[in-house]
Amino acid sequence: MSRGPVRPYVITGGRSLAGRDALEFESLLRTVPGVAVDPMVVNREQLAVLEMCRELLSVAEVAAHLGLPISVLKVLVDDLWELGAIQVLPPARPAERAPLALIEEVLVGLRQLR
Amino acid sequence: MVSASSAEPAYLPSSVQGAVKILVTGPFGVGKTTLVGALSEIDPLRTEETMTSVGEGVDDVTGRPHKATTTVALDFGRITLSSRLALYLFGTPGQQRFWPLWEDLSRGALGAIALVDSRRLEESFDVLGLLEEQRIPFAVAVNVFPDTPAYPEAELRTALDLLPGVPILTCDVRDEDAAHRLLIDFVDHLRVGALELS
Repeated sequence: MSRGPVRPYVITGGRSLAGRDALEFESLLRTVPGVAVDPMVVNREQLAVLEMCRELLSVAEVAAHLGLPISVLKVLVDDLWELGAIQVLPPARPAERAPLALIEEVLVGLRQLR
Repeated sequence: MVSASSAEPAYLPSSVQGAVKILVTGPFGVGKTTLVGALSEIDPLRTEETMTSVGEGVDDVTGRPHKATTTVALDFGRITLSSRLALYLFGTPGQQRFWPLWEDLSRGALGAIALVDSRRLEESFDVLGLLEEQRIPFAVAVNVFPDTPAYPEAELRTALDLLPGVPILTCDVRDEDAAHRLLIDFVDHLRVGALELS
C-alpha cells in the first residue's frame, strides 16, 4: 500500500468492528464479474479487495495479501457485500455441530491427496 | 510488521463452494507454524490482529499498566480437498492473553490439534483447559523433537489430565508425510465423535 499507516477505524470509516458475525475467517470471496462500482463510494482498500478477488479467496487470504488485520477486512468486505459488488460463500459448516457427512467429505479429500 | 505479499495470490478453483477450518494450537515454539507449513498447499500466509486487553491479571509480568495492546500473528495454510471443498488450517497461539481472539477463530472450526512439547508439558495446560471449556473437539499431538523423551501414553495422559476420549497422537511436524497422517488421524477422530453423537 503506497500511503502510510492509518489507524484501522480510519480505513473503516469510523464504524465499529463489533457484531459482524456473518463473515468468518474462512468465508470465501469473489468479486461479482463485470461489476461497476462508483469510485466515490468505496475507498482505496476496497478497490484493492475487488481487484484481488477476481477469483476465489478466503477472507483470511485477502487480509494477508493486503497486509490488513482480518477484523478490518471484514468491515471493508461487508460494505462491498451490501453494494452487491462482492459475492460471499459462507463456511461449509452450517450448524453448531459439524455434520458427519461434512467430516467424511474432509476425510475422503485428505486421503485422496497422497 | 509483516509487509503485504506482492506475489500473485494462489486462487481456489472456481468450483469450490465453501471452506472449513481446523485450528492448530499450542504454546510458543511448539511447532504450529511448521505443521501448518508441512500441510499447506500454498506458502503459509500471515495476518496480524491487534487485541486490546484490559485488566487484572493479564500480562502482569511485563509491569505495564492495566491496558495493553497485543499484536497476534496468525499463520495459516490451505488444502483444496475436492472440486467443491477447501480446508484452512490456522496456527493459533494458546497463551491466555490471546484468548479474546479465540471466539472468532473457533466459531465454526471442525476441531483443534493441540501440539504439545513433552519436555515442556506445563506450557500446554492453559490451552488444554481452554479447549475443554469451549467444548472444541480436539486431539493432543506430541511433536517429536530429537531429544524428546518417549513417555508412555498413560503417563502423558495423567500429566496432562486428559479426558479418556481425547486421543494422544505423535508426529514429527517437519515431516510432510507424518503431518499428513496426523491430520487424517485427527479428522478420523472427529468422524468417530460425530458418529457417536448422531
